[in-house]
Amino acid sequence: MTAYIIRRLLILPIILLGITLIIFSMIWMLGPDRLLASYIKSPEALKTPDAKERLIAKYGLDQPIPTQYLKWLGNILKGDFGYSNIAKKPVQEAIAERLPYTLELAMWAIIPVIVGGIWLGVISGTHHNQPLDHGIRIFSLIGWSMPDFVFGLLILLLFYTVLGWFPPGYLSYESEAILRSAEWHKYTNMATIDSILNLNFSVFVDAFRHLIGPILTIAYLWWAYVLRITRSSMLEVLKKDYIRTARAKGLAENVVINKHARKNALIPVVTVAGGMLVSLLAGVVIVESVFNRPGIGRFTADAATQLDYFSILGSALVFSVILVLVNLIVDISYAFIDPRIRLS
Amino acid sequence: MNNDKKPLLKVKDLKTHFHTEDGLVKAVDGISYEVYPGETLGIVGESGCGKSVNSLSIMRLLESNAEVHGEISFEDKSILKLSEPQMRKIRGNDIAMIFQEPMTALNPVFTVGDQIEEAIILHQKKSRDEAHQMAIDMLRKVGIPEPTKRVDEYPHELSGGMRQRAMIAMALSCNPRVLIADEPTTALDVTIQAQILELMKSLQDEYGMSIIMITHDLGVIAEVADRVVVMYAGKVVEYADAVTLFKNPKHPYTWGLLNAIPRLDIEQDTLYNIPGVVPDPLNFPKGCKFHTRCSFCQEKCKGEEPELIEVEQNHFVRCYYTEKVEEEKAKAKAGENA
Amino acid sequence: MSVQKTEFKRMIRRYFKSPTNLLGTVLLILFVIIAILAPVICPPKAGADPFKIPIATWSAAPQAPSADHPFGVIGGRDIFYGVIWGTRAAFKIGLVVSLISSVIGLIIGSISAYFGGWVDEIMMRITDIFMSIPFLVAAMIMTTILGKGLDKVMVALIIFGWMRVARLIRGNILQAKSEQYVLAAKALGIPDWKIIVKHILPNTIFPVLVQISMRIGSLVITAASLSFLGVGAEPGYADWGTILSYSRNWMTELSKSWFAILYPGVAMILFVLAWNLVGDGLRDTFDPKMK
Repeated sequence: MTAYIIRRLLILPIILLGITLIIFSMIWMLGPDRLLASYIKSPEALKTPDAKERLIAKYGLDQPIPTQYLKWLGNILKGDFGYSNIAKKPVQEAIAERLPYTLELAMWAIIPVIVGGIWLGVISGTHHNQPLDHGIRIFSLIGWSMPDFVFGLLILLLFYTVLGWFPPGYLSYESEAILRSAEWHKYTNMATIDSILNLNFSVFVDAFRHLIGPILTIAYLWWAYVLRITRSSMLEVLKKDYIRTARAKGLAENVVINKHARKNALIPVVTVAGGMLVSLLAGVVIVESVFNRPGIGRFTADAATQLDYFSILGSALVFSVILVLVNLIVDISYAFIDPRIRLS
Repeated sequence: MNNDKKPLLKVKDLKTHFHTEDGLVKAVDGISYEVYPGETLGIVGESGCGKSVNSLSIMRLLESNAEVHGEISFEDKSILKLSEPQMRKIRGNDIAMIFQEPMTALNPVFTVGDQIEEAIILHQKKSRDEAHQMAIDMLRKVGIPEPTKRVDEYPHELSGGMRQRAMIAMALSCNPRVLIADEPTTALDVTIQAQILELMKSLQDEYGMSIIMITHDLGVIAEVADRVVVMYAGKVVEYADAVTLFKNPKHPYTWGLLNAIPRLDIEQDTLYNIPGVVPDPLNFPKGCKFHTRCSFCQEKCKGEEPELIEVEQNHFVRCYYTEKVEEEKAKAKAGENA
Repeated sequence: MSVQKTEFKRMIRRYFKSPTNLLGTVLLILFVIIAILAPVICPPKAGADPFKIPIATWSAAPQAPSADHPFGVIGGRDIFYGVIWGTRAAFKIGLVVSLISSVIGLIIGSISAYFGGWVDEIMMRITDIFMSIPFLVAAMIMTTILGKGLDKVMVALIIFGWMRVARLIRGNILQAKSEQYVLAAKALGIPDWKIIVKHILPNTIFPVLVQISMRIGSLVITAASLSFLGVGAEPGYADWGTILSYSRNWMTELSKSWFAILYPGVAMILFVLAWNLVGDGLRDTFDPKMK
């Protein structure tokens, strides 16, 4: 197993490098004119006739591509992602500010996804072809077929416009005022956590109210996916010989399912957990846009519509790195779960 | 039937049918036999004859599309009438079963010891530590070297023969009265096969249990069986004690099986095999199910299926023309001596 | 060969046994009919690009459904027209992107599995790298760079959409390589490429077909997401996502624009559901173990 882990760790820098190459090739595709536009803060700088050539030379946009790439890579590694026009500050600062909001959402959303998805998947798999299974399957298929933004809009329609329970946005005005007050201590920048640490219950409730819509939206989709994988994995496992052996020993059915079947069934689920996170991250973009949360997702969407190239590329880089790291952790933990891999 | 002892397990007119999308499959269609304390009953037949389904029927481990009729009594309990919780008390405890493929029959994510201890903790209500010790003892008893080390290993870390031994340890851990062994040696090398059979025999003596040995290999039957059931197309075609079966077979199918065994003591130009193939269970032939492959087939055989008749004491055959087999046997013997 | 025929017949029978498969197939056929009949149901103005939703009114406010506009008006455009012609757009995106990206994936996966060794390593690393950027984000960047328009959306989706198929094919070929029937063919002296084309690919095609039909749904969703965010098709394009993007302007007054969400939304859900049901059903049918 150590060989397996070492191999994965060695490949990591290659993958990260590859990502930088792709991102950079997109920068290159923009061409010097558009890139120049990202550097310039006001149109006055282009007034003089030779201003353009001068500025292009100044920012190194006429240099050979490998040089530009290395320069850009060097900046990235120093933490300089360029300047964000929409946030009016360096991209890396803009991202760092917004990251906690996204993480908060992801953190809360994972719980129902995993717990609900796995739990329902096991039930669905063990009641194969019975009405419960059909019901859960349809529920899951509709979730899989539902575009996240449509679902989000429908949730907003129902729970906000009609019922008034879960408003969009991050916090109400009152809560925001509390957060700006002197007594409030910022720990993680996440309202839900901070409110617990600050022992302020009303802010917690408020923050959570604003979270429910986004959580439901993300969770429903991923619940559906995890459920499908768990279900089909469960069905596969239940046909195996060792399940028959377990029953032949006289074990009660729930022991057979929860002890013998489930552990084996979860192995493929862990495998796709990585892939799931890819799309969870993408889902964040949509959900934050629909529900107006100030996280990286909405930042990326805004950057795209407003053609803020450095911002969007910076976000893409951050997303990718998070993805790669999470996948690595998933892969390694997969080795821990399956003794056949662990001991080879 | 056999002697004045009472049978431990009695199967009477067992019928197990499967409802498949292609039709009704009569995997087992009315079989009856008895198992006595301390003896080994062999059930022999080609693949598809229903011998495995028969054992799964006894254990009630069939799929949901199975329909079981008839009577199975174990120690005066009617197995088919028991509730599921009552049946679970019997599985692994009074009647245990081992399977053909030890690699897939053991759960890959749990240690061998864990899987043995499970049964002990469940049926004998021992604590984790006691069960662990008992598991080590069982592993030692089935001949696995370094049992204290092996008990914490995973199935894929053991060799094929050791895995089968571990399965046997698991099955015997609660001292069952009947052990059903479904092709236990088929997936193993011949040398290991012999060892496993030896092991089973000695354990049988020690525990005083009965064994139902299911196999397609007559060699195994000769090795371990006291009495034998020959199955074909879901029915019993011959039922006798082992010596009689080998010396004095009366059913053409049994005769065919015996002939198919290659012999070293006489010259054979070509190896014999029974012509034809096992019939499609969705489409059994009318009359005697074997008639399409039987060299002694007569008109009567194509009409109505023969009953299972006791032709001599404790020797049952399902055939109209058992004398044909006797004639053939006499001829063959004469031919050898010539 | 008659064995294959009966097997095929059996598969068809099994496929239609499940009510969900039937539902999916019926829905799909319905959508095909709508797409084909689009010019009849909503005839475009003479000379105009049929994919541009005609302007119904110059006022900015959305109008609720009425006799003239059965699904209402938003952004000055008729939603009914958009939904009907959007069916065509959905099929276009779904089929074109998934077919082309599957072909690319097939080629890359086959080459990777065929040559093995370094070639395989490098190609798989490249696949990994491409897969490391979240699909939606990557597509967003591409359309930001390339500009708005359905064709640019399709290019973006293709560039970042071939990886799954590549992996699937590669996995299947590698697995098949070690199967007995391949070793037997090799022992007979049949060249490698012939083995792949004649023996391995037919057996690996089914999972790919299943994947294609299941991907069409998510591709349409991604394309719609891009339009919704404003980086997809041009404004006024007859595409469900574009119609939904207009409702963004009316977020706080959703009661005024509910029809702009409901009709294209339901159309999209049903479309994707149909493909998912069909794909799911195909998978169950082709899997011999699912009896």
